[in-house]
Amino acid sequence: MSCRDKTLLLDAYIDGELEVDAALKLEEHLGACAPCRTRMDRLAALRAALRGNIDAEKAPRGLRARLEAAYLPAAPAPARLLSWRWGLALAAPGLAALAIALWLAFAVPAPFAGADGADVRVVYHISSTATARAALRNLSNHLNAAPGAKVVVVAHNDGVDFLLRGARDELGQPFEPDVQRFLSRGVQFRVCYNTLERRQIGAAEVIPAATLVPSGIAEIGRLQSKEGYSYMRL
Amino acid sequence: MLDEIERARFARLVLPHMDSAYGLARWLTRDPAQAEEAVQEAYLRAFKYFGSFRGEDARPWILGVVRNACYRLLERDGPIATPFDEEAHGEDAVAAGTVVRFPVDPEAVAIERAERELLQRCLRELPAEYRETLVLRELQGCSYREIARIAEVPLGTVMSRLSRARRLLQRALAGDPAARGTGT
Repeated sequence: MSCRDKTLLLDAYIDGELEVDAALKLEEHLGACAPCRTRMDRLAALRAALRGNIDAEKAPRGLRARLEAAYLPAAPAPARLLSWRWGLALAAPGLAALAIALWLAFAVPAPFAGADGADVRVVYHISSTATARAALRNLSNHLNAAPGAKVVVVAHNDGVDFLLRGARDELGQPFEPDVQRFLSRGVQFRVCYNTLERRQIGAAEVIPAATLVPSGIAEIGRLQSKEGYSYMRL
Repeated sequence: MLDEIERARFARLVLPHMDSAYGLARWLTRDPAQAEEAVQEAYLRAFKYFGSFRGEDARPWILGVVRNACYRLLERDGPIATPFDEEAHGEDAVAAGTVVRFPVDPEAVAIERAERELLQRCLRELPAEYRETLVLRELQGCSYREIARIAEVPLGTVMSRLSRARRLLQRALAGDPAARGTGT
């Protein structure tokens, strides 16, 4: 066997993929063949260089949060995850002050005793851009009247637009800061993936505050039948 | 829709490989936004077809789904030619001479002393089939058999691609511009 035929063996050896007897035979050859030793040295040098300099990048936080929110087992887990994420965000002092200010601005006392909405669950279905701003206004009023209400917003069809990066309403006001504010009040935003696929919108265009669900309609059905949400179309 | 047991199984077996998935997508697409999009799409697809997955080690399986999502995305949108970000990748360049164990062969020394920025660029510019094989082996620590499964090629092809990938990279690091691929 010539040295040329040993190229693949050298790679397999350094990768620990050779059977024991083949490895022993190759080691014997390496002891006697200077050119193969040099090739082995270069392989080892390349490996050392790669390991020392190339890191596999970890999933960014936004992606992690979106995947976990979408695929961790239903209701309680995503809520926990959300508070953990916001816990992190709040750890930054400037953000914490901002969040408290926002919370104060929104935490209007409930006007009627017993109307805190603690056991109210509502899914808002937004299926058109035109109504997104109005829906958020309603949602704000809703939460002021019933601060404990659990609200999930499911966006579907043209309704997904306000949850895309850089989205603005007809007056040029950006949506994202408002969505963030609702998020800090426990509202969850879910975007229909079927819609994205049909409209050829990349998942990366969706703002990190929203999570993807395979089907908006199926999600609304699931929330109603499995988790006791009532349905509101806006 | 999968039932809750399947969802829990998916969360246990597939979600933990998110970092590997993103790491692979990052090197295949060579763009952070495309990598994120590919991973999201891969997870959706994986979730949809999770019923067809058997066994406990989902890592090669999800990496295969991620790989396909990356190539579908590149085919649809074309590669985004992100300029190489030296600020992000150039930090912590290894001080020359810190890790030389093979002083006899000048080429081995040159390879091992290669600067971070050069290594990153040479790896980025390797043709896709060599890049994916090398990344799966060196960064993801996959066995030959796992790589064969992920890339859907025979074991022999994995071996020859890996060997060729290393020789291309070695030559590029040693300063041979002809060794650089077109990076398609």
